Amino acid sequence: MKSLISKISPGYLVTAVALILLAVLPVANMPRAWILYVLLFLIYLAMANMWNLIAGYAGLISLAAPAFLGIAGYTLALSTWFGIPWWAGLIGGAILAGIFAYLMSFAVFRLSGVYFSIGTLVVPEVLRQVFYLWRPVNLPLTGGGAGYTIKGVSGLSMGQIYWMALAVAILSAVVIRIVLRSNLGLGLAAVRDNQRAAASSGVNTFRIKLYPFIISAILTGLAGGLFFVYQQYIEPGSTFNVKWTMIILLSTVIGGLRTEGGPIIGSIVVVFLYFLLARYGNYSLLLQGVILIVIMLLSPQGLVGIAQRYSLFNRFMAWMGKPLIAAK
Amino acid sequence: MHGDILTPLVMGILLGGLYALIALGLSMIFGVMRLINLAHGDLVVLGSYLSYALLSYFGLDPILGLIITIPVLFGLGFFIQQFLLKRAFAISAEAPLIIAFGIALIIQNGVQIGFSPLLRGITTSYSMASFNLGSLQFPVSYLLDFIVALIVMLAFREFFTRTYMGRAITAASQNKKAAQLMGINTKMIYGFAFGLAMISAAIAGTFMGMTFPFTPVSGTQFLIIAFGVVIIGGLGSLLGTFLGGLILGLVQTLTAYYFGSATQMLFVYLAVLIVLAIRPQGLFGR
Repeated sequence: MKSLISKISPGYLVTAVALILLAVLPVANMPRAWILYVLLFLIYLAMANMWNLIAGYAGLISLAAPAFLGIAGYTLALSTWFGIPWWAGLIGGAILAGIFAYLMSFAVFRLSGVYFSIGTLVVPEVLRQVFYLWRPVNLPLTGGGAGYTIKGVSGLSMGQIYWMALAVAILSAVVIRIVLRSNLGLGLAAVRDNQRAAASSGVNTFRIKLYPFIISAILTGLAGGLFFVYQQYIEPGSTFNVKWTMIILLSTVIGGLRTEGGPIIGSIVVVFLYFLLARYGNYSLLLQGVILIVIMLLSPQGLVGIAQRYSLFNRFMAWMGKPLIAAK
Repeated sequence: MHGDILTPLVMGILLGGLYALIALGLSMIFGVMRLINLAHGDLVVLGSYLSYALLSYFGLDPILGLIITIPVLFGLGFFIQQFLLKRAFAISAEAPLIIAFGIALIIQNGVQIGFSPLLRGITTSYSMASFNLGSLQFPVSYLLDFIVALIVMLAFREFFTRTYMGRAITAASQNKKAAQLMGINTKMIYGFAFGLAMISAAIAGTFMGMTFPFTPVSGTQFLIIAFGVVIIGGLGSLLGTFLGGLILGLVQTLTAYYFGSATQMLFVYLAVLIVLAIRPQGLFGR
């Protein structure tokens, strides 16, 4: 018990307060639009965390996120058409996204660097074509380009979807922490810094990248599934769309690639810009492109990297990490 | 049956020329600075929009308009390399990729603001015409694509083997340090190489726009096609690029012929994925 108390630091308290505030938001009589923006933030955050894991820590610039969230979304949508409850479809979709990532790895893991990036970029494009053509439900005005409504989710309140998204976002942060503090995290750092040296020290470079790739696919799928639960509708054009890749990439890079706090800050910026420029969607994306380039050139570690240049920030972070009650 | 199969065959070969032309810039940038330019498709589509704008606002013929589109895209390419990518290369391996992605984002949305997301096409009297080959009819635009692709590729080959700048770019791509020791200004060379690649993108975009309708987000499609051509053809070889273009063109027209036009892009993408998975160094690569 004493050891537990001695672990409590201001950082933990701040996190706890932030989580409680986030959790009570739907019952705090906030405008519906605000809840929507925070919901989007949570979904983007979960995806950005997962992209940070594979791009930042495993060094794989994957552009396949729309494939994972799309497969999860379509599994969810189609299973509700075949009488399976939505929650089973949601979980099944995430698992299927993971299996798909595993199968995909046989093709794309033979590639490195930019080849890997383009290989992963092709996959969502292929899936979009497939889902335009493949019509498992043979009814007029459904399937193909018309898409599917997701049945049985209209009873869910915004708050319920929000809490699920909060849980997934927390899960994504916890997963990153666990991965990075395990042997897997050590292996990832070794492979990213020098693949050959890591391989000759006995690290299985294929597997060590495969696990995070599958983990990220599962959680990206779960977060994507929740987005489609909220949207109650899925169609190929906007699902297997490079727009998702852009949002995820922006959230991570603006905040700070390879930093734990980066995706949080980046997702806030992205949602804020979306909110601010909601009526000018294209201007918002154009501006984000400019921000992406400027941030990358001035501070490759994103906004977190900029903050880290100031000793005040570093002292603050050190204070946040210190236990409140000094251990004896 | 005999006469029928001939149509997709000829169309595929002609289309292959256009694809090779689209891929030329991508292949060049990769060959010289080891970068797959993720914005290449969007830069090609930007070329299409420039020609479209010149035609619809000033009534300027798109081929004549190349006098304007070529310098504009050359300047843009030079700027991208000298002011953005050059710095990015010094930062990390993923920085140039992410910057190129940002450029793609800016072009896509800039074009969407300027021209709306609607489908556009560059329509001239000759791009709509058709010519006869025996009893079969083909669009003139396809033939034009093929001829222009041949001319541009031959011109590039001559440029790289005969001019000082061409040789300097080749030297810098083979060994930067040795090139510097020989007195080549490698700081500018990469900018020129990127600019040259954008010249091919301007030409490719203009003729692509006469052949197919395009939207602000067509870039991804052409990036994948260009990448597929480069992958199939192997890197650094003009002949390989040309053959890669022909193969992808034929895959598209033949699958459209056998399985219907709705599936043609699917098969093109699958072909790219299969080659990537089996022979990432390309069918004709070493």
